[in-house]
Amino acid sequence: MSSQDQEPYVAACPNCDVTRQTDDPNEVINFYRRHYRVTGHDIEIEHAEPDLDNAVTANDLKDVIRELEGQHRNGVPMGVIAAVMKERGLSVKQTLDEIHELRMGGGLYEPQDDHLAAF
Amino acid sequence: MTQWDDSKAQAVSSDITDESNALPARYFTGQDIFEMEKETVFGQYWVYAGHANCIKEAGEYFTRTIGERQLIIVRGHDGNIKAFDNVCAHRGSKMVTDTPMTDSGNARRIKCPYHLWTYDLEGDLKSTPKSFEEASLNPDLEDEEVQEFDSKENALNDVHVDSIGPLIFVNLSADPMSLDEQAGVMKDRLEALPLGEYEHASRIVSEVECNWKVFSSNYSECDHCQANHQDWIKGISLNESELEVNDYHWVLHYTHDEDVDDELRIHDEHEAQFHYFWPNFTVNMYGTADGYGTYIIDPIDTNRFQLIADYYFEDPELSEEEEAFIRTSRQLQEEDFELVERQWEGLKTGALSQAQLGPNEHTVHRFHQLAQQAYNS
Ligand code: FES
Ligand SMILES: [Fe+2]
Repeated sequence: MSSQDQEPYVAACPNCDVTRQTDDPNEVINFYRRHYRVTGHDIEIEHAEPDLDNAVTANDLKDVIRELEGQHRNGVPMGVIAAVMKERGLSVKQTLDEIHELRMGGGLYEPQDDHLAAF
Repeated sequence: MTQWDDSKAQAVSSDITDESNALPARYFTGQDIFEMEKETVFGQYWVYAGHANCIKEAGEYFTRTIGERQLIIVRGHDGNIKAFDNVCAHRGSKMVTDTPMTDSGNARRIKCPYHLWTYDLEGDLKSTPKSFEEASLNPDLEDEEVQEFDSKENALNDVHVDSIGPLIFVNLSADPMSLDEQAGVMKDRLEALPLGEYEHASRIVSEVECNWKVFSSNYSECDHCQANHQDWIKGISLNESELEVNDYHWVLHYTHDEDVDDELRIHDEHEAQFHYFWPNFTVNMYGTADGYGTYIIDPIDTNRFQLIADYYFEDPELSEEEEAFIRTSRQLQEEDFELVERQWEGLKTGALSQAQLGPNEHTVHRFHQLAQQAYNS
């Protein structure tokens, strides 16, 4: 497939030979969940919407979400958060674990399923 | 007794007479039940709509969806609050766009964008455009023969409204029991508190993956608190708590440890009070904050609901302590979401056909009984 018809999001498991291409960022999260459930493997985001990251200056997860909220009404898709955090060195699993920590501490909420906002 | 799926639960009427018998699981998981609930639960009882302080001036309004019904809650020129279906009397267009309580709208008139029929804040039809007064395009009709519209006969559809202090409730039924009757002592209790002096300060909306009744049941008991709300229970003497059950509401009273600052709460007693009001509303009086909160537990479908958490303080501008307080409340919600989503995963499998309730889940039993009553009505 040429890079022109590549979907905006590409995720893959480094251990297995599976790749997922999608235009829905949260499909990356669903892919991770399914794959982790059956194999225990983390997955890597290989490619995400090109300029997704440019606008975000923060490094800290909660601040990243706060900044992204400007572009996403009613919560930032978790897949977008994972893609931005990947640029900051976190795997999908690490991002989701950190999200879980923050949520359980009351710092984040979920205005719609798998979409997050910072409190 | 617990019933697994190989011994199907009987009809809802005979099943839950015993305090230990929960509402059969299929009333949580059945896809058809939510449709039925629109009629028997949300179409019959008083349902919380919003807070009067958010629409203080004449013409201020917000919308609220209950089941299929989309309502406009508006303050009239006489200062009274009215509720209408957000549906035009002409050809049924939806009129105003969705307007949350947190960002209320303001209108002198309610105008339908389709053909510009215009209603006053009493819901009466006030004007129609010229094209409804003249028959110039209709060769078979003289202008004089054009029927005149009656402002009352072509009025918006009125919905029953009543309130407890600043809390506005609506009832979709044509002939409801009174709100006083449904609320019982809760009305007197809440009205004894200065709820109207507090302003809306924050709203957090969460979508949760489980049936709304699962969360409601969880809210109604604290047998899960010791194991799951470890931060919160530190300040609470669970053993001195009381779970009070009334006709359509129940109250969980939690006694606080001595060191909670006595100044810092809206009510006098040395306790937190969590009121559950059938079918889907709670009033949360925390022992540690001079303010209060409400939850609306709005079903989205069989498998999901929205928790709308509102917080009220004397000043709508949050202080740092108040923000920290809301964060703690938010943490409790998250802990509960984990529990109810996990319970939902289990229930959905269909392995359990009827749960069994413990002796301190009599509040849950009350909730299940009210559901039963509604379904059988
Ligand atoms: S439908 Fe509202 S004016 Fe025609
Ligand atoms: Fe809880």
